[in-house]
Amino acid sequence: MNSAPDFSSDNSEVLLHRRSPGIRVLSDTFKSRGAMFGAGWLALLALAAVFAPLLANSRPLLNSVNGMISSPAFIYLTPLDFTLLVMFLAAVILFFLPLSFRKKVLLFGVAFTATWLLAVEFINPPKLSVYETHRELKSETSADWVVHAPIPYSPKDYLRDYGDTGLQAPTYSADRIHLMGTTENGADLFSRMIHASRLALGIGLVATGIAIAIGVIVGGLMGYFAGIVDMLGMRLVEIFEAVPTLFLLLTFVAFFDRSIYIMMVIIGLTSWPGYARYVRAEFLRLRQQDFVQAAVASGIPLVSIFFRHILPNAFAPVLVAASFGVASAILAEATLSFLGLGLVDDPSWGQMLNQAVRSSTFNWWMALFPGGAIFLTVFSYNLIGESLRDALDPLTHHSESR
Amino acid sequence: MLLQIENLHTVLRSRQGSTHAVRGIDLHIEQGETLCLVGESGSGKSVTALSVMRLLPEAVASHPQGKVIYENQTDLLKLDNDLLPRFRGREIAMIFQEPMLSLNPVFTIGEQIVEAIQLTRQDMPYSKARRTALNAMADVRLDNPETRFNDYPHRLSGGQRQRVMIAMALACRSRLLIADEPTTALDVTVQAEILALIRDLQLSYGMGVLFITHDLGVVAQIADRVAVMKDGRIVEQGDRDDVLYSPQHEYTRRLIGALPQNLHRPRVVSEADAPASEVLLETRNLKVEFPLRGGLLRRVVSKVRAVDGVSLKIRRAEILALVGESGSGKSTLGRAIVRLLKPDGGQIFFDGKDIAQMSSGAFRSLRTDIQIVFQDPSSSLNPRLDIATILTEPMAVHGIGRTDSHREQLARELLAAVNLPEESLWRYPHEFSGGQRQRIGIARALAVDPQIIVCDEITSALDVSIQSEILELLLDLRKRYQLTLLFITHDISVVEFISDHTAVMYKGQLVETGPTDLVCKQPQHEYTQALLNAVPRFRSNSQLAGIE
Repeated sequence: MNSAPDFSSDNSEVLLHRRSPGIRVLSDTFKSRGAMFGAGWLALLALAAVFAPLLANSRPLLNSVNGMISSPAFIYLTPLDFTLLVMFLAAVILFFLPLSFRKKVLLFGVAFTATWLLAVEFINPPKLSVYETHRELKSETSADWVVHAPIPYSPKDYLRDYGDTGLQAPTYSADRIHLMGTTENGADLFSRMIHASRLALGIGLVATGIAIAIGVIVGGLMGYFAGIVDMLGMRLVEIFEAVPTLFLLLTFVAFFDRSIYIMMVIIGLTSWPGYARYVRAEFLRLRQQDFVQAAVASGIPLVSIFFRHILPNAFAPVLVAASFGVASAILAEATLSFLGLGLVDDPSWGQMLNQAVRSSTFNWWMALFPGGAIFLTVFSYNLIGESLRDALDPLTHHSESR
Repeated sequence: MLLQIENLHTVLRSRQGSTHAVRGIDLHIEQGETLCLVGESGSGKSVTALSVMRLLPEAVASHPQGKVIYENQTDLLKLDNDLLPRFRGREIAMIFQEPMLSLNPVFTIGEQIVEAIQLTRQDMPYSKARRTALNAMADVRLDNPETRFNDYPHRLSGGQRQRVMIAMALACRSRLLIADEPTTALDVTVQAEILALIRDLQLSYGMGVLFITHDLGVVAQIADRVAVMKDGRIVEQGDRDDVLYSPQHEYTRRLIGALPQNLHRPRVVSEADAPASEVLLETRNLKVEFPLRGGLLRRVVSKVRAVDGVSLKIRRAEILALVGESGSGKSTLGRAIVRLLKPDGGQIFFDGKDIAQMSSGAFRSLRTDIQIVFQDPSSSLNPRLDIATILTEPMAVHGIGRTDSHREQLARELLAAVNLPEESLWRYPHEFSGGQRQRIGIARALAVDPQIIVCDEITSALDVSIQSEILELLLDLRKRYQLTLLFITHDISVVEFISDHTAVMYKGQLVETGPTDLVCKQPQHEYTQALLNAVPRFRSNSQLAGIE
């Protein structure tokens, strides 16, 4: 059944190329074309989210007025913009540093906290923003030279004062190019799409992250201790499963601010029972396995048994469920925005769809681009989840791992 | 000639490439003859059986060469798919290893036998098929065929289920029976009954039997002729006595030499002059119960006493074998001693301290002294950790070794002690074979420098040649570390080889204890006698014993 390692041959090369189970699963996952496509689209979204203020901005990236070189785009960076940019840089640097994966994750966490705190403390973009002074035509006449962002429109720069206030189909007029047209207030749709990718990615990852954290701990305790803990835990799970997420969100939105963070937390708090069920089932199975019993017999402390010996072996179904969970979190936010109960002014794909429907004429670009983006993102997560499930299924590679 | 296999090749394809599982074998079976196909795991013996039955999926298996000729006329390998059912079940029946999985749980056993009969003889009316089925059930000595007929499979024991499978073959008047390790999952006493049954039926019905097994003891009991298989080839073939008592091929000799009863045991301490060393571990009237829950609120409705008042003593540096059949409570006793289960009554004295009712916090420091090695090599190591972590983590928890690199060095020494190369340290469990994993399991137990190790059936999942290596390693380690071992097993020949003292367990109680030689040569209790009589074995002649 098992091919024993051949110790007689020169092992140095083999040892360099040994693949840990995690890496094997990852490479198997992205062997499939669908998962590769999904990962590609998500990477594109991530880049758009990080570089949004540099990609789509009414303010010039660089300009020179009377010999003074300045960067209006940079001055108006918010703490969030700044943190995202720094963290992206940090991630790229860490990727190439020769450290263990665990250390990298730790360093990344530390860097994130530090940057976020510093950014909130020291970065104060001007409160008042008059887009008009920075617009393409204006800045070109008043400055010596200007470097514009690829899409020279901010998401909230409503071009009402140009006279043609309303909707425009893509590339309507030659002097101002709107690749995806404009909204009914005259804001550039492409710019809004790019900035909205932050919301889409953020809500999916954070909400699912909260749900997984709660689900793993509750489910793990239920599965490991079984008996009465399991019984009580399952009742808690059933209670939470009965809470309708969307209506809870509606209620909260009605009572409190329309805050993206509250949405993330509520979606996270209501979607953990699914993960708890998966983790519980795996823990119930694994705690009787010999290697866990051996760890108990060696006197290894509970925390280590829990997180080191059982959890990594129980995490596979959670990962698969998570990729679908991210997709459904994105859909929940889009639904809310579509109903007109999302964020007020910040761009979101669902809100753009809502605008497309409300308008008296059918404006295809208002429906196609945000709808397509939601579809592609949800589809990507599902494709990756599907492929991950296949890669983790022991039946598909019994020859390698028994 | 009933079945003739000529130059059979089987190639199995998988994602990782193809395996030439059977590499040109020639076999023949006459009517009323039993041919035993013997080999270790991975030798291709099961694939051979499945190839004959054409049970391998066509997408996976192909036969580049070879013929399987049934009754001198039909080549089963070239047979049209539509004609296959005429042979499967009707002419050739098959019994599988795992009796728990081979019957459909939602049909009664009667229905299943009748269905098999009516598949082969469609014109037979139900009443007649039922009578045939009942006769067959009586033939395989199932008690009360009339009531058993309406029973569902879960009410039958493993041995009874194998009887049902044989009854199916009988009822269909099959002329060739292929039995793939049919007794491996059964207890020895049940195995003896099934073997006798197959032998009897074969004599009265004149069936040909292709019997696949890894157990040379079984071969000695049932075979007319023997074929020894290794790496997809047949290395030796001949009459039973010729192959077993004067084997020609070197591999056959090695296989026979690796049987525990043929191993030469270096007696370290003979019974007479061993000083009565102190008692290291003692159980007094130990009880472990499992609650049976039922009803609306899952109340405890009754209890199963898995261990029912066991008192035994293990002296320092002694090997005590605990023998018993499945369900006798021997593994439960082992787990209670390492406190993976909390005893429900009685005491366990370790080094004078009662550990049975000790709190788990107080017991933690004693965990280093009492270790356990498990049966199943595939699940006893965490698949996500490399060997270095598996070995050093317990050390770090118990403060053995000063630094990480020191512990790593200790782990290297442990691997050397269990005869594994140093490179193993950075590998993952799936890269090792079953025997190597058991060595790692032993190394893990040794990592915390224990005084006593409970070995729970640690060789029963291994081939005999690997088993002999592990047993010899244990004896060697015992000498080197002054280890005390509680060796739990169902295999009498292993007991005879390894242990100083033997305790026989039956239905949760100890029925006999004493020095191994005494227990095995002059068993007092009738259960021990039955157990010893049921063990199929043969001892090679003296000329062989000298060959290493």
